[in-house]
Amino acid sequence: MSAPDPIVAGETAGVAATRRLLSGGALRRHAGGVLKYALLALGAGLMILPFADMFVGALRGPADVYANPPRYLPSEPQWGVYARVFAELPMTRWFANSVIVTGLITAAQVATSVTAGYALAKYEFRGRASIFQLVVGAQMFPFFLFIIPIFFLLRFVPLMGGNDIAGQGGSGLLGTYAALCLPFIVTWYGVFLMRQFFMGIPDDLMEAARLDGASEYRIFRSIMLPLVKPAIATLTLFSFVYHWNEFIWTMTVTRSAPELQTLPVGIYLLQGAFESLDQKSLQQAALAVSILPVIVVFLALQRLFAASDTANAWQGGK
Amino acid sequence: MRPRTPRVVDGPAVGGWAPWLFLAPLLVFAFVFFLLPLGFSVWLSFTRWNPLGAPSWVGLRQFEYLLTRDDTFWRTVVNTFVFAFGFVAIGVPLALLLAFAFSRARGKAIWRQIYYLPQLTNIVAIAYLWQFVLDDRDGLINRALGAIGLRGPDWLTDPTMAMVSVVLVMIWYDAGKNMLIFSAALDGVDRAIYDAATLDGAGAWRTLRSVTLPIIRPAFTFVTITSFITGMGFFSLILAMTGGGPRGATEVTALYTYRMAFEDLRMGRASAGALILFAIIGALSLLQFRALRERSR
Repeated sequence: MSAPDPIVAGETAGVAATRRLLSGGALRRHAGGVLKYALLALGAGLMILPFADMFVGALRGPADVYANPPRYLPSEPQWGVYARVFAELPMTRWFANSVIVTGLITAAQVATSVTAGYALAKYEFRGRASIFQLVVGAQMFPFFLFIIPIFFLLRFVPLMGGNDIAGQGGSGLLGTYAALCLPFIVTWYGVFLMRQFFMGIPDDLMEAARLDGASEYRIFRSIMLPLVKPAIATLTLFSFVYHWNEFIWTMTVTRSAPELQTLPVGIYLLQGAFESLDQKSLQQAALAVSILPVIVVFLALQRLFAASDTANAWQGGK
Repeated sequence: MRPRTPRVVDGPAVGGWAPWLFLAPLLVFAFVFFLLPLGFSVWLSFTRWNPLGAPSWVGLRQFEYLLTRDDTFWRTVVNTFVFAFGFVAIGVPLALLLAFAFSRARGKAIWRQIYYLPQLTNIVAIAYLWQFVLDDRDGLINRALGAIGLRGPDWLTDPTMAMVSVVLVMIWYDAGKNMLIFSAALDGVDRAIYDAATLDGAGAWRTLRSVTLPIIRPAFTFVTITSFITGMGFFSLILAMTGGGPRGATEVTALYTYRMAFEDLRMGRASAGALILFAIIGALSLLQFRALRERSR
């Protein structure tokens, strides 16, 4: 259940330091420079290669794949493949499910991380240390441990989905959006991240507000929350990316519920439909559609917090 | 000053029940989706259970079967280890090498976006994209090798090459993330330390060994251990890319127990298998942590 690392967000601070490094040792820089950019470019080429292969492949028509030998570059790019993806596959359904599930989980994770992180950073109460230990320790448990037990806990929820009071007889919450979202509404990593950010905010602000008679909720909502906006942006981005791409759990609970499948799961479980050679381009176009929204959101949001002081907040929280 | 706020003098001591309200969702979740499943999982591992019927208590027999009589289980443990070890042994030094280049390069934003691309991509797409690229006959790589007169290997249908392929794809998938972590650590090194080293007459190699590497050691330990843990439990890529094949050559333990549960409906044995894997990961991570910390002293 671990999310990608926030270092990426906090990394921008290093750019200035890099410039300073670049200004010294002109001779050595020249020799090392060529090697450095050659290495980076080679790596970048390898990073892009499979994506380029996908976009080219999506545009191949039957004439290309049945040619002897099969043509790599499409003789006549079949741009219509992207319309076919939506016409011939339940793409709209998958897309909508991905948006719904990712949206619900991301909203829930941000809400629970912000509140719990705030409580752990800014209040003193009995049990705080143990709860924090739980938050840190729980991150060590790999997700594969939870698949079987959570599947059956959801299956045996009493009085849901045709179950009787003992949780027997029906399918419980399986086959509902709840089964897709509930196991992810808290992210240990997100709670940890938000706690670190709140730790970096001085207590004086809270105390001043208390002296003015502000309620605990008002202090949280009007004073503390606006201060951690960059952290919220970071967490939103990582939750979104992780859950848009989530595969194993969603596949496990929607295998027999096609109406709930998300993009990666739908494409995976429809393998059989892509078997024939001229359906490969359809598969490649569908994959492109599953990837693009994340890249768009990432580039849009990245600008948002590159401009903020996320890096400083992250450092301050340590 | 109002009488409602009696204890504001030092530290965040006030609030009464407020923190518990803020923590309520987390506490409910911790019980329902963490403690309860873990307990359920341990209990299940002592039973034999096909979910169509009722579980029956078998004591330690599932563990005994997996550890002493199930050859497939041990084969998957070896595969898991090969996968995780290959991923760490090649992936981590590679990410470090890239970080050295990246942290002193111009146009960082562009490089970062390119190297982060795989991290943004769902694992099904990654598996299929590489299936296309590595296709024995029509894939881009073997076409390119063919064009210069070489016969490329059977990347996905030869048992040894299939393992090599999934390890390489895993390295490709994670390289950007680890590169950025190392790069952040490198950027944290104060320029003054390098200047001091140069003044003391230290050459490039000596500076690297005695200044840079010790400073980024925490990042190195972190990346090595988290990569290892990730690799040991990672099975979605393999499921979508090779399905564990050919002939079980890439079947890892997490995938084996997943299938045991949801294809063979052996919930008790699968739970036991998952717990054994978890114990192996825990023990090996602890060993690594000790080893990496010892060397730093």
